[in-house]
Amino acid sequence: MEEQKEISFRIYRYNPHFDKKPYYDNIRITLEKGITVLRALNFIKENIDSKLTFRAFCQAGICGSCGLKINGVSKLACMTQVFKELEDSKEENVILIEPLNNFTIMRDLVVDMDPLVEKLKYYYSWVNPKMPVHELGKKEYLISEEKFQEYDQATDCILCASCVSECLMMEVNPNYISPAVLLKSYRMNVDERDSMQKTRLKKVTSDGGVWDCTHCYKCVEHCVKNIDIMKGIQGLRNSGMKTVSKRSEGAKHAKAFITDIKRKGRLVEFTLITRTLGFIKPIFMLPMMIKMLLRRRVPPPSFMMSEIPRIEKVRKIFRKLKKKNF
Amino acid sequence: MKYAYFISCINESMTKELDIAFEKWKTDLGIELVKLEEGTCCGGSNLDYVSPKHCWTINARNIALAEKMDLDLVTSCNTCLLSLRHAKHDLDTKEGLKEQVNELLAKDNLEYTGKAQIKHLLWVLNEDFGLDTLARKIKTPLKDLKIAPFYGCHILRPSHLMGVDDPNAPSSLHQLIETLGAQTVPYASANKCCGFHTLLVAEEESLNIAANALEDGIRSGADYIVTPCPLCHTSLDLYQNKALKSRKNLPKNSIPILHLTQLVGLALGYSKKELGIDKHMIL
Amino acid sequence: MKQYDIVIVGGGGAGLYAAMEILNTDISLNIAVISKIYPNRSHTSAAQGGANAALANKDKTDTIEKHIFDTIKGSDYLADQDAASILCEEAPRVIRELENLGTPFSRMDDGTIAQRPFGGASSPRCCYCADKTGHTILQTLYEQCLRLGVKFYNEYFLISIEENDGVCQGITALNIQSGEIEIFPAKIVILATGGYAKAYWNRSSNAAGNTGDGIAAALRAGVPLKDMEFVQFHPTGLRKSGLLVTEGARGEGGYLINKNGDRFMSNYAPEKMELGPRDLVSRSIETEINEGRGFDSTAGQYINLDLTHLGAELITKRLPQIRELSISFEGIDPIDEPIPIRPTAHYSMGGIDTDKTGRTIMKGLYAIGECACVSVHGANRLGGNSLLEILVFGKIAGHEAALEAKSLNSVSISNSIIDKHKKYFRSLMQPSQYERYGVIREEMGTTLAENVGIYRTEKNLIQAIYDIKKLIERFKRVKVNDTSTVFNTNLVNVLELRNMLNIALAISAGAYARKESRGSHSRTDYTKRDDVNFHKHTMFTLSDGNLDVSYKPVIMGKYELEERTY
Repeated sequence: MEEQKEISFRIYRYNPHFDKKPYYDNIRITLEKGITVLRALNFIKENIDSKLTFRAFCQAGICGSCGLKINGVSKLACMTQVFKELEDSKEENVILIEPLNNFTIMRDLVVDMDPLVEKLKYYYSWVNPKMPVHELGKKEYLISEEKFQEYDQATDCILCASCVSECLMMEVNPNYISPAVLLKSYRMNVDERDSMQKTRLKKVTSDGGVWDCTHCYKCVEHCVKNIDIMKGIQGLRNSGMKTVSKRSEGAKHAKAFITDIKRKGRLVEFTLITRTLGFIKPIFMLPMMIKMLLRRRVPPPSFMMSEIPRIEKVRKIFRKLKKKNF
Repeated sequence: MKYAYFISCINESMTKELDIAFEKWKTDLGIELVKLEEGTCCGGSNLDYVSPKHCWTINARNIALAEKMDLDLVTSCNTCLLSLRHAKHDLDTKEGLKEQVNELLAKDNLEYTGKAQIKHLLWVLNEDFGLDTLARKIKTPLKDLKIAPFYGCHILRPSHLMGVDDPNAPSSLHQLIETLGAQTVPYASANKCCGFHTLLVAEEESLNIAANALEDGIRSGADYIVTPCPLCHTSLDLYQNKALKSRKNLPKNSIPILHLTQLVGLALGYSKKELGIDKHMIL
Repeated sequence: MKQYDIVIVGGGGAGLYAAMEILNTDISLNIAVISKIYPNRSHTSAAQGGANAALANKDKTDTIEKHIFDTIKGSDYLADQDAASILCEEAPRVIRELENLGTPFSRMDDGTIAQRPFGGASSPRCCYCADKTGHTILQTLYEQCLRLGVKFYNEYFLISIEENDGVCQGITALNIQSGEIEIFPAKIVILATGGYAKAYWNRSSNAAGNTGDGIAAALRAGVPLKDMEFVQFHPTGLRKSGLLVTEGARGEGGYLINKNGDRFMSNYAPEKMELGPRDLVSRSIETEINEGRGFDSTAGQYINLDLTHLGAELITKRLPQIRELSISFEGIDPIDEPIPIRPTAHYSMGGIDTDKTGRTIMKGLYAIGECACVSVHGANRLGGNSLLEILVFGKIAGHEAALEAKSLNSVSISNSIIDKHKKYFRSLMQPSQYERYGVIREEMGTTLAENVGIYRTEKNLIQAIYDIKKLIERFKRVKVNDTSTVFNTNLVNVLELRNMLNIALAISAGAYARKESRGSHSRTDYTKRDDVNFHKHTMFTLSDGNLDVSYKPVIMGKYELEERTY
């Protein structure tokens, strides 16, 4: 017989019809090695408390239903071993189970997924076929390995919403596009079978869109399928800058880096603000700037900044780079 | 202990006090730095989507400058750390990339080989110098100080590029702070984001992100928040008043933010003024 | 009361394909998809292998004709040959259509859709997207339905199909989120609720929700079921979760070991050993366990799939997914320890009887996908034909329904039905109720696995029928503890169990009546195929609460009966 342990599951409970506010239940069960968190929850529901409410379906890590916070981290309950999770527990033999962040809680561990679906729709998260309906199914597109590689990994996404739950921008702006939908947008936008790249990019690069990502890499860190979501986010910014979003604040901000490296070697922070935002918005930042001035913390203006030594070599490399592709 | 020291753009301008403090005590610990005067901006985790090829090339050049001196490259900025390590990872793993980049670097008599390590100053103190040794150098133990450690993002994530701390439960900064004699407080924001990178394009949201961390820090009862990243410092210190404007009923109105180098400086016996702490917005 | 032209129940590959096809045929139709989960979570996503289509990209000599023959032979000649022909003829078109709409099929060097060999196929014709074929097809269909503006009712549980004088009037469903019972009057209802292999409960690789809801509702509404006794088993499911460890593990040299430490396959297939055909390996493992040479555990008896002798390097390089699966789901690293496995139910061939357009005998009621039995799989499904079936018949039924809907009269459902269901739900919550659904469900799975599993014999089948009838009696006293209206999964689980019990009885009764061995149905007391007496479909109907079994001829065509050998 395998090793057994008595384990406390500290589970978030909330039924909006009965409970004034959420609370935590402590449920102790004895488990053997090899049991997943989902099996433990199933055991509790079948044998101890049939009111415990959570979603689960495939139990095989492909449907994405059982996204939860386990010991504070968003993941799939069906793919998480209880004994492994105990190693990360703050309290010995206690596992904390909570619903995903950044969603409205419907009951216990079940959250309202509809806002995510609405975002999928709002950002055109589909391939808009180039072919008219009557042409569909007649012949295949020929797709090169290189083009295929661009979206292959992104199609691993199972919309479990772990990334949405972990996203720090979502925490302060529920209307933010979210990492999952950014990834979908990217996946559609690099697909040569799609016909609405520009329309989609316009939406994706507007307020609450791709430029609002803070690059905190939380989504990448917590993707249950190990998808490099940031690659998608950067890809969208890149295409956006080349087409519909040339004059956007995000694009101007990003471009300033390349210009400055060419001019000075370093970032000219003094004018970064005006180059990103223009001259109107920064007026509201004046009080802060005056304070900075008093503390002698204002970055030097461009004319006072010297170039790095041998900058001409960097410029030469940049000139050569223009013609190179890799 | 000799390193090439990568110059972070912001430390040259808005957060000069970070290096002022570092300059004060580095010789006390026998750390010798060769400033990478010819180094360029790392791209600030913005360049990689403007043009990945530029990002690889300039950072290969930055690393090659250190390699030319046979030194490892140290930075005291999280985002520089990420840009450099990201480029290094790609250069070392993407087939043919190194060769293509080196062709360009040859114009500047440089070659990227991959031998130089890219380290954060925090890691240098913890691992290369060693916390036991550091403990013996302390002149003014920081007892009675309660510190909320704020790691920032790019020293933790993506973890496959960093690999020092567990991004869900980081400990390196905690260990350093405790070595200096101070106490660390538990709070939820240690591994969260400061909002810096979107301050200009989504100010309100970014300030809210900063405010979440600040509020957490204040509620934890800490005397200071300490961060190893000048960008986090800017977001949390420079923008603090603005960020906290919307927050009501806090136990206190503000919380001062220290650079990692300043906290070490305090323990090594330097005054707040010497360490440039008086230059901060929140005192 | 809002009335729909067409309501589709189930949001998996079949249901979504139908929805897409309906709107592509006639955008003015008023349709809705009702699903008990978010459609993108459907079990279609679990199909890894691929879908067959004779595109002849890989093998230029492949033809639709060959695909048809492979399908009929694979079915052990129980498939209807007209339906099998349609399946294979339509295959290239649906695969290309999905490709045109963005499905990320793996590619050949020339950029065309890649194809790989699959068990029972005479040419490499299985189109795939790495090991995520079903997942990516489901995503594509869901995306297209969102694009077309399909109205979705997510987290609604089908309670009943309403009919009047043999004409379908629509359905009633439980809104899981709110607890309300809602009626959906519809001129046409298309059932696409998936298979029933989860009736084997813990001895099944299926999703927890593959409980045959549409099949049971159809049976209760007087629509016949067909060939329910045919359930496919996979030899190597993980002991605890039932998840599949793919053939790759044995292909790379894994051993099957019993508790005496013997590589027992030497007794069953001395030459091919562990690489014998799937059904033979399943039967061998089952025999070892039945004869007492399995390992014991709280999760039941099992056999070891040992990879440890292959070494860490080979396992990490060649079998990384199998390793990850064992670590995540079973807590076992196959580098250090053998993987505990046993055969597991994973596909159900039977279902609601339909014709080759997906129509049932009830006017206005269609069924498609794994919940239907068009009869393309017969007694045994060919690998790569399950995804194909849901796509082809989803499309065909969608098209047919779109054309038919306009010509049908309006329908109505009386509101009194809501009270009837409410009363029933409330009765389940009464203090006088005491049976635990988890216990009944467990016992149902156990008796099916033990008595109606890979090997079947009269004595065991009588036992199963007896057990299940008793469980059905006990179910009348089943208790729903959760009285809340909001997201009452306790109630949903109980209603699912009611459906599975109906189905479990049909599986057992069909297996008892079929006194021969054919395809996945192996009788130890009738080991031969008996074409004289049993080359026919088993039909199930409910009359006065009793399950009647009868038969219906197989539709033949140009392929004559032959012995099935490989």
